[in-house]
Amino acid sequence: MNMYQGVRDALSHAMMRDDTAVVFGEDVAFGGVFRCTMGLAEEFGRERVFNTPLTEQGIAGFGIGLAAMGHTAIAEIQFADYIYPAFDQIVNEAAKYRFRSGGQFSAGGLTIRCPSMAVGHGGHYHSQSPEGFFMGGAGLKVVIPRSPIQAKGLLLASIRDPNPVIFMEPKVLYRSSVEQVPMDDYELPLGRAETLVAGSDLTLLSWGTPVYHCETALHMLTSPSDALAPYVPQSLRSAKVELIDLRTILPWDAETVAESVSRTGRLVVVHEAGRTGGVGAEIGAEIQKRCFLKLNAPVKLVTGWDTPVPMQFEKFYMPDPLRILDAIIETLTY
Amino acid sequence: MIRAVRTSVPTTRRAFASRRLLSSSVPRFSADQHGHLPTTQSPITPHLEFFNSVAGEGKTIPTYRVIDGAGNPLEGARVPELDEALARKMYEEMTKLPILDNILYNVQRQGKIAFYMTCYGEEATIIGSAAALAPDDEVLGQYREMGVLLWRGFSYDSVMNQCFGTHEDIATKGKQMPVHFGSRELHFHTISSPLATQIPQAAGVGYALKRDPLRRGKNCAVVYFGEGAASEGDFHAGMLLASTIPSPTLFICRNNGFAISTPASEQYHGDGIASRGPGYGVHTIRVDGNDILAVYNAVREARRRCIEEGRAVLVEAMTYRVGHHSTSDDSFAYRPRQEVENRKRLDNPLARFRMFLEARGWWSAEEEDAFKARVKGEVMQALKRAEELPKPPVEEMFNDVYAGEEPWNIKEQKEELKRLLKKYGSAYEPWRTELRKHKGEGKEFV
Repeated sequence: MNMYQGVRDALSHAMMRDDTAVVFGEDVAFGGVFRCTMGLAEEFGRERVFNTPLTEQGIAGFGIGLAAMGHTAIAEIQFADYIYPAFDQIVNEAAKYRFRSGGQFSAGGLTIRCPSMAVGHGGHYHSQSPEGFFMGGAGLKVVIPRSPIQAKGLLLASIRDPNPVIFMEPKVLYRSSVEQVPMDDYELPLGRAETLVAGSDLTLLSWGTPVYHCETALHMLTSPSDALAPYVPQSLRSAKVELIDLRTILPWDAETVAESVSRTGRLVVVHEAGRTGGVGAEIGAEIQKRCFLKLNAPVKLVTGWDTPVPMQFEKFYMPDPLRILDAIIETLTY
Repeated sequence: MIRAVRTSVPTTRRAFASRRLLSSSVPRFSADQHGHLPTTQSPITPHLEFFNSVAGEGKTIPTYRVIDGAGNPLEGARVPELDEALARKMYEEMTKLPILDNILYNVQRQGKIAFYMTCYGEEATIIGSAAALAPDDEVLGQYREMGVLLWRGFSYDSVMNQCFGTHEDIATKGKQMPVHFGSRELHFHTISSPLATQIPQAAGVGYALKRDPLRRGKNCAVVYFGEGAASEGDFHAGMLLASTIPSPTLFICRNNGFAISTPASEQYHGDGIASRGPGYGVHTIRVDGNDILAVYNAVREARRRCIEEGRAVLVEAMTYRVGHHSTSDDSFAYRPRQEVENRKRLDNPLARFRMFLEARGWWSAEEEDAFKARVKGEVMQALKRAEELPKPPVEEMFNDVYAGEEPWNIKEQKEELKRLLKKYGSAYEPWRTELRKHKGEGKEFV
């Protein structure tokens, strides 16, 4: 199963178990522009899987209304780049619905799915990673999976979580990540990071697509190509780097990250979004607070630059494996 | 993006199109002359004609009225079949509003509550519509609709508790500004300040009602908003959604002529809000918002259509905001005092309905005095009670951000505030004074 199939499978399980669950957004009825809702309209009927007019603020507002009535609303925003018209509905309304009504009403049944991150040729508006903008949205959860198994388990947990969740699906992985996904209904916990590779010398933290770039960078560290060999000191090649997938951006798993950094003394955070005001800044501040005495090097951020995502320059914009490798070397040799 | 377009058109719209064709002055076309336009049933015409009105030839949409300024039924108007009890209840609920408004406005002026918004002049629109709804229709308001809650039995204590933010404030637990009421029990969704956000939400609420076997065909979602809020993108979104994803959603626009200082003439250039309804394929009516019987009739019929057809209906109630926008506004900075005085005198929704009642022997000056005195007494009692009540425990501030397990950041921040209050709570005067106002005086932290 690839990732879009994992998403589709999760939606099917969610709708099977819960009669109030509906799936809606732009072009979802015929299967969605990324095929994530393929066959759902046939399986569950047009009353439960339907197109909306092209209005993101409307989609989010409509979903909040359904959720306020205790229904399960699974909305799709076609690209994360187009979530901003719904920012007001998400941050002022969905996030605060429970708090402001003294717990009488809630938008907890709302999940907003949106394809995010770069795809190689998406330019400004088909590449963005807006998770950082939602980090201050107290009342929201923000979740990003890295693979089909993760997507299915985390999406089911997001749909059933009693809080509004923004679920960002790295679109380049829709077809490229493939693995054996359990057919049954299962959930993965929100708010928990996952340690993918154990290590003791440096903590490498990321989410979504760059998790794979981190893996590549680790491979380049242990066995660099002949051309790169001169840049990778022999002494570092056996370094044990701990790789963590954060999975949930809000609320993020500070405990797991801090525990890791306390052991390794070094942290590199990798994300596609620009640096200033990004998620890495928040994590860096919290980790320096928790691990001040344990840190052997400054927290290093490998991120997109503070520019819009540029069409013909994407290779130089993205936190690619080489930039990650360089950050690891710099941090280990600080 | 090129989008697929539905080629079949609902029968109602086809019927509408053919009616227009018959009544218009353009030459008639046979069906095969309609051409092959893929996205419309529009007939083809060789005439280069622009239009700028939904009523034809530049006419504006008429305003539906039942009783005139003296409370007499208009010729040809159908007076709703009200029994004395219902008519009296409508008048009484209307009368309560300015009494509450006067008291709370003054309380704000004395600095006892932070903020208030009156609904002077809009009493007929609010109570007339509330009376036409089922008590369990889901209401999403803007902020000038306290009357709907009162109609449904919201107590004076609840009003005061919310405005004062006492520990008995169930509506917002002291977390929102005054007049941001809400009651799950009374099917009134909690008010929020951002304008128009409730409009697309109402479409979702309507759709949920339609999907609920216990409420389908019985209830609708009702959304109130001002003519200023209708300029927000969310109005467009909400109208679109409730029409294309058919949902029983009743849109009630209070067109009171002003959005804070901005007159309606600077808010739109078309024929008010009602002219927009047909553009969305929505049944629409404009009604005299100062005539409670017209509002009652129109909203009752709008609700019936809304539920029967499972589709959106729009009601634009024309009224006048007699009061200031809020306690933070002095409206005489942008409109002459005399204009307001004239309005109050010439077209008072309360006086109109009172004359209607008196002509039937259903109300008298003595009853008026006794009723007002009783309400004033009860409101003052609730006010005095709320004034004495402590605010919620300080700890309440951190509750209900999330459901389920409390995230670490909120737990840690609560601990941090505890530490600070423990350390400085009695030494730092601004905190010491404030702590005394809260239930438990912050002792849960110490």
